[in-house]
Amino acid sequence: MRLYFATDVHGSETCWRKFLNAAEHYKADVLVLGGDMTGKALVPIIDDGGGKWHATLLEVRTDMTTEEEVAAFEDKVIRRGYYPFRTDPANLQKLSEDESHWHGLFQEKMLETVEKWMRMADERLGGTGIRIMCSPGNDDQFEVDEIIENAKTVELGEGRVVDLDGFQVVSTGWSNRTPWHTYREEDEPDLRARLEAAISQVTVSPERVIFNFHCPPYRSGLDDAPELTEDMMLKDAGRAVKPVGSTAVREAIEAHEPALSLHGHIHESRGNCRIGRTLCINPGSSYEQGDLMGAVVDVDGKKKVKRFLLTSG
Amino acid sequence: MATIAGEPPYQERSLFVRKATGLVRGWSVHDAFIYAAFSINLITLGLYIFSFGPFIPKASLLLAVILSGAYLVFQTVVYAALIAVMPRAGGDYVWVSRVIGGGLGFTLAVCGWWFINWHWVPIYANILTKEFFQPLGAILGWSGFVSFFNEPKGIFTASVITALLAAFFISIGMRGYARLQKVCFYGGMLGLLIIFGLLIFHTKTAFQSSFNHYAVKTYHGPPNAYAATLKKGTYSGAGSLGGLAFGSTILLIPMIAFFNLWSNWGATLYGEVRGASDFRKNITAMAGALVATSIGAVIFILLIAHTMGWNFYNSANNAFWSGTDSMGGVWPYPVTLATFFVSPWLQFIVILLMSMWFFGWVGTVFLTASRVIFATAFDRILPEWAARVDKRGTPYYAILIMLGPSLIISYFYAYNSTFTSWTLDATLVIAVTFVGSTVAAGILPWRKPEIYNASPIAKYKVAGVPLITVSAVAFLAFLGFCIYKWLQDGVYGSNNHGSLIYMGCLYGVALGIYIVSRIVRRRQGMDLGMVYNEIPAE
Repeated sequence: MRLYFATDVHGSETCWRKFLNAAEHYKADVLVLGGDMTGKALVPIIDDGGGKWHATLLEVRTDMTTEEEVAAFEDKVIRRGYYPFRTDPANLQKLSEDESHWHGLFQEKMLETVEKWMRMADERLGGTGIRIMCSPGNDDQFEVDEIIENAKTVELGEGRVVDLDGFQVVSTGWSNRTPWHTYREEDEPDLRARLEAAISQVTVSPERVIFNFHCPPYRSGLDDAPELTEDMMLKDAGRAVKPVGSTAVREAIEAHEPALSLHGHIHESRGNCRIGRTLCINPGSSYEQGDLMGAVVDVDGKKKVKRFLLTSG
Repeated sequence: MATIAGEPPYQERSLFVRKATGLVRGWSVHDAFIYAAFSINLITLGLYIFSFGPFIPKASLLLAVILSGAYLVFQTVVYAALIAVMPRAGGDYVWVSRVIGGGLGFTLAVCGWWFINWHWVPIYANILTKEFFQPLGAILGWSGFVSFFNEPKGIFTASVITALLAAFFISIGMRGYARLQKVCFYGGMLGLLIIFGLLIFHTKTAFQSSFNHYAVKTYHGPPNAYAATLKKGTYSGAGSLGGLAFGSTILLIPMIAFFNLWSNWGATLYGEVRGASDFRKNITAMAGALVATSIGAVIFILLIAHTMGWNFYNSANNAFWSGTDSMGGVWPYPVTLATFFVSPWLQFIVILLMSMWFFGWVGTVFLTASRVIFATAFDRILPEWAARVDKRGTPYYAILIMLGPSLIISYFYAYNSTFTSWTLDATLVIAVTFVGSTVAAGILPWRKPEIYNASPIAKYKVAGVPLITVSAVAFLAFLGFCIYKWLQDGVYGSNNHGSLIYMGCLYGVALGIYIVSRIVRRRQGMDLGMVYNEIPAE
């Protein structure tokens, strides 16, 4: 079985489109998205009146005078992984002053996008026999699960064991604690219990088991993230990196020795390592650049993974 | 809407960001500046190469430092732009392999950051000897220790110490090394300020007297050593301090490049960047370090001229390199000379402080190589084990494949003068790697339009041409001129026939590894082309 794994696309539509096309590009039988599907920011496009608009992306202000220009700007924002919305100065000020208001708008735009992505998957891969599995990550709100659950082509992985061509994939997007207090994070003992609950559903031998845990194992080289100061600045200009992975994930891998363990979460820590006989992969993420980092993995049910490649598509 | 008096004016919000992993408030330009300043290291690389100034007749060292320092801002723009478009660990390898091709990217990066750094170990060791072991040994009166480091076994010992230190710094991890560099920067800056103070507040007459005293007492030089140095070292072709011999000065720039071509040394380490401000921050840090170091060099040169005398400085260097010096065969390290105004123990302490410029810098000889090894192993060109780390996160195999060959090369460097001459192209090979990345930068807007247009640098243009391309062309002109002069003119010590053949062999080995790897991987059912091919988005 050839599996293509990518993760942390964070709302980038370019990356999602590439992900769907990866099956044909890499001749993969199964596509697995590891988590953190949703974007991090809303970008207002402000109506200045008289057919004029302006907006700012990456600290660069763009002035627009035609509908085509506005649409092109929206497309640019979507491709980068943010959500554009049209507004006027008065509404923008109201929105800025009411956190619950813009959070509501954020959720609306985010869920709309996930629904759109599910429809795109149906259109592109429905009926092809290619399996697609998504497992939301710690940055994804819980409402995302429901949309995936109801999708036709995409299967939800969170907390369950999914059978794929004789292999079983155990997934969770939960992570250990982060400084951002995200939606799916918990203390290590709780995470360990969550992992064990999911793993306990496995019915095949370890050679046919694949872990799809968003958080990488602690001190694996796949979990090196820049250290932060108290005021959330990168310490030593980002050069002081430290392991931030999960000890629970590491213990689970050491205890159960699956053939393959797929991770994400730490975008900068692209790579692979072995823990016991388990091949662990974090393909990294470069979603803002529209570059889909991934891994093509061939598994045949023998003791070790048959072959793998980290790709940058 | 009207603003009520006393309330802060409403500021239009251009972005609403929710809670999500990785959202940080940015990074300190000051910290990035420190690391870039360590790479363009005035004390280690600068002072060492400045001593070769007399080899270019009539050239003005002062002008060469200013002109090259200003021009190399183009290099910082090229690299800051590459980081903004493709912020990846692996730097030059990733950029060239993704924009031009995997074979070229691998060959250039492996030669320029890995193989050639084996050969930089004895160069670093030479600086360790000249700026640490010998001056401190001389102050302690250990003449045997001082002369030991002029012998092959001393050169080899210094190389082993250098390689082990670099390996140790890599093994403690980036976090530990970043902190050590910071401590060394502040210690080194304190030392530099003391040196500047000593040179500012003393006269040439006082220096002559001090030099005459310590050249005899500490270095067993001849009586009236200052005059003896001038007599033995003066030659008619020496450049004047403020001379405007523009043609000769331009010819000195390829020599100076040994010192100021490295503002981008940390470029292989970058991860995510966020926006245009990060692009500007990277330029500010790299170009700031380049300009500040150049200003530091100018101040140092002027103070040397003021207190020691420009003719004396040139003569001392000329005499040393021609073997007629007045300091017992010890390199006239300007820091040592500047400390002659104080007691030997204070001399010892100040030289120790200044050695922090070396100890904070020495890890760079392996650090960048380790990132290239990791990136190429993750792309499956090198075997999986090359990127393996232990439970403490130490990349022990990467360290071994840096350390082992560097020790073997250091041995031959120390004991075989023919081999020593083969290593003369060490700077040239890195410059050729920069050529690859700079070409990649220049064509990037056309080769990778989607990624380029999505980056924060797409808005920067000069007369309608992307800034990255304009800067790349300008930097290519610089590299082209330096490489041409290094190959064409014997004065730079790098147009050695044996060295060119040897370096050619290194490129051959790198290309061979890539070809063998592709064949082996294909037999294993893996097409390495998949690593670089972009998936269509539509």
